[in-house]
Amino acid sequence: MTRVPFSFTRARLIGQNTLLEASRQKLFSFLLLLALSLVAGAQGFRDFNFGAPELKFLADLGYGAMAFFGAALTVAATAQLFFSEIENRTALTLLAKPVWRAEFILGKYLGIAAVAAVFCVLLTGLLAAVLWAREGSLLTEFPEAFPHGRTLHFADLVAAGYVQWLKLAVLAAFTLLVASFSQTQLYTVVTGFFVLVICHLQYLAQDASARGDSVFARAVAGAIGLLFPNFQLFNLAENVGAGVAVPWDRVAHVSVYALGYVVAAGALAVYSFRKREI
Amino acid sequence: MSSRPVRSQSTVSANVKSRLPALVVIIGGLALTGALLRLVEAPLWTVLRAEQPALRLDSTGAAAGQGVTLGLLGGFRAIVADFTWLRLHVLWEQRDLPATDTLLRLVTAVDPRPLYFWVNGARIIAFDMTAWRIAAAGGYDSVPEARQERIGAEQARLAIRRLEEAMTFHPANAALWVERANIELNRLHDVAAAAASYRRAWEQPGGPDYAARLHAELLKRLGRKAEALAWLVQLHPQLPTGDEATEIVLGRIRDLEKDLQVPAARSYRPPPGGPPGAKPGGR
Amino acid sequence: MSAGPSGTPAIELRGLVKDFAVGLRGVKLRAVDHLSLRVEPGQVYGLLGPNGSGKSTTIKIILGLLEPTAGECAVFGVPGGRVEARLAVGYLPESPYFYRHLTGRELVQFYARICGLSGARVPARVAEVIGWVGLTEAADRRIGTYSKGMLQRIGLAQALVHDPRLVILDEPTAGVDPVGAAAISALILNLKAQGKTVLITSHLLAQIEDICDRVAILDRGQLILEGAVRELVGVADRQALVVEPLSPVQLGELRVWLAARGRTLEAVETPRARLDRIFLDHVGRTAPAKREGGP
Repeated sequence: MTRVPFSFTRARLIGQNTLLEASRQKLFSFLLLLALSLVAGAQGFRDFNFGAPELKFLADLGYGAMAFFGAALTVAATAQLFFSEIENRTALTLLAKPVWRAEFILGKYLGIAAVAAVFCVLLTGLLAAVLWAREGSLLTEFPEAFPHGRTLHFADLVAAGYVQWLKLAVLAAFTLLVASFSQTQLYTVVTGFFVLVICHLQYLAQDASARGDSVFARAVAGAIGLLFPNFQLFNLAENVGAGVAVPWDRVAHVSVYALGYVVAAGALAVYSFRKREI
Repeated sequence: MSSRPVRSQSTVSANVKSRLPALVVIIGGLALTGALLRLVEAPLWTVLRAEQPALRLDSTGAAAGQGVTLGLLGGFRAIVADFTWLRLHVLWEQRDLPATDTLLRLVTAVDPRPLYFWVNGARIIAFDMTAWRIAAAGGYDSVPEARQERIGAEQARLAIRRLEEAMTFHPANAALWVERANIELNRLHDVAAAAASYRRAWEQPGGPDYAARLHAELLKRLGRKAEALAWLVQLHPQLPTGDEATEIVLGRIRDLEKDLQVPAARSYRPPPGGPPGAKPGGR
Repeated sequence: MSAGPSGTPAIELRGLVKDFAVGLRGVKLRAVDHLSLRVEPGQVYGLLGPNGSGKSTTIKIILGLLEPTAGECAVFGVPGGRVEARLAVGYLPESPYFYRHLTGRELVQFYARICGLSGARVPARVAEVIGWVGLTEAADRRIGTYSKGMLQRIGLAQALVHDPRLVILDEPTAGVDPVGAAAISALILNLKAQGKTVLITSHLLAQIEDICDRVAILDRGQLILEGAVRELVGVADRQALVVEPLSPVQLGELRVWLAARGRTLEAVETPRARLDRIFLDHVGRTAPAKREGGP
């Protein structure tokens, strides 16, 4: 019997197809355009004339838009791209080929992670351009506010965009895990957003598990703290707009953390999906 | 290749089975992952948390019911706060004092991390709102000067209270102390308080040297020239060599020595080779 | 069930059972009920039956898309649930939906690469199978713009692109016009000529009668009839003669002639042509597969 080993090539092909499908969908274009126009339009806020802190305001707004629209895009795209395969029966044709279910899940994940990456790259690029241009004009208007010349560093802006993407990559893995056992797209989207909220508040659950009033409350909080990642850990670039460098050792640290969760959630999604009836 | 088919599954189908075992595996897997990754999370989280005192849910209490709760819970503090700030600016242009005041509180409740919300907020309270209140009372020409002063002082104290609140989120921040000193000097005309605040500003990490010079200047204005001289003599060796500001400080030292008639033998002598440029370690 | 000529059947099902849980309480619904079948290599095998008789469920089990509740399934000797079993299988699902964002050519290329074809072979092979199904001119159009018949044809192209030994067609003529159905029939006969095994399901029993070597008829998940088409549809103790029209006198003479030999003339009828045949003759079209060669 000819053996069919696990193939990254097949997973990559499925991922490429997923990315192509997403890029040809209105949802992706809509959210991307919305976020891009917000960042580009932020130039219009110069009337408020914050002086030097304006750069931080612009950076906050840009990365805030990336986090907000990126999260919406990631949850919606994961649910949509997964269930379009199931509901349109394209998964039937695909899984009738010599394709492992793990390849299907990995391929879907790679495609969605690529969608989030394209989103973050485009927004980071635009934001960097907006910040660079505004910093240039502020340098001319208020040279005394910039005694050492330009304060923003492109590498830090890229690192901040990368950390945003890492968070979206973890969110995509968890949403895919939900999709692997969920019966409907709506359930997946709603649960995906709940996961997003819980992950942002996970640190509070950790606190409560240590200092809760009752044993029951401590146990529930401890379980939440254990089951969900801490998304506050991805707040490494809060002051990148104020010229504060992103510490690269922390970026590496949080990358390991994100990778751990992506691998675990992905493996559990494969486990959950392997017996799913198509 | 075997011609005999292998038994696929003997009795009960997976879909008839309860989903419970799968759920147990998923929850167990996530718990195990959480426990393992806690080893990665804990060291970084301890550091980040210490750096971000703003990560407290109690500060969002004021924002509850303002339609921003979901944004906060979803971790989108920054963007919600930014839009609140933009909205605040519209109200500021309309000189709507109560609404501006509410949004100033809201914006820092939503996201107390950006310093400029606090600093600009304090300026609006101390300077703009004073002008609005005087204009509402009939304008600078018709409102008696004493009342103008009283309004200014009231607003200045409110602004300082905001800055004190900011300092609980941003301890050891020079910009907040500079802002406080400016308000104390320009609105309250409290030179002693301003002198103390400029000194505190200089003592914070990264505190500007001009704050130290202003501290000396205000001491001089208060007639505490000897104190001002001692301060500048202590300051000068810590300033960068060849800097214009370093020369200005030396000039002021000489002026004060002249005013205080310090004998040439006891006058200040800069360290050989100029000041080392290091800031005092005790700050 | 007849024994096959070779040792390893293309498909072998033994005592296959599939239950589905229905509703929250998980009430069992039996879709396939102790089904045993053997499809020999090179046969065109029809799996027939009304809607809901368990045909598609059986196919999904063969393809490993569903796990059987009980029983055994093997494809060329490999257990049906294994990925390896699908190496030699091409599958056209019922009412195929494909990635609408791709063109026909992109779709077939995608599946070719998924099936392990690589390098310079892919474009040539893709062009070849698209030619067989008669979609060369529409190959670079988005699939979202395809008609039902075109979808079936591009579905056939993706099923054949990796040159499988076994082709499974689930209701390939459902919703397709007579011209399209004839083209698909011609293509199936072409596959048979190539020595491939074809498993075809249909609820339109008459439509695939002409192309199947053997058929199995299912009802409510159970096998109710199985055998060679010729044996099943032929009436063994009767014969029909087709001649030019006879006058009443000539008919009387024939009856006398038959009676002398102990036979009776039971019916005199005018032969009827099938409507689909008349339609095809009038529109003057031929099957694309015949026109452009075959796999």
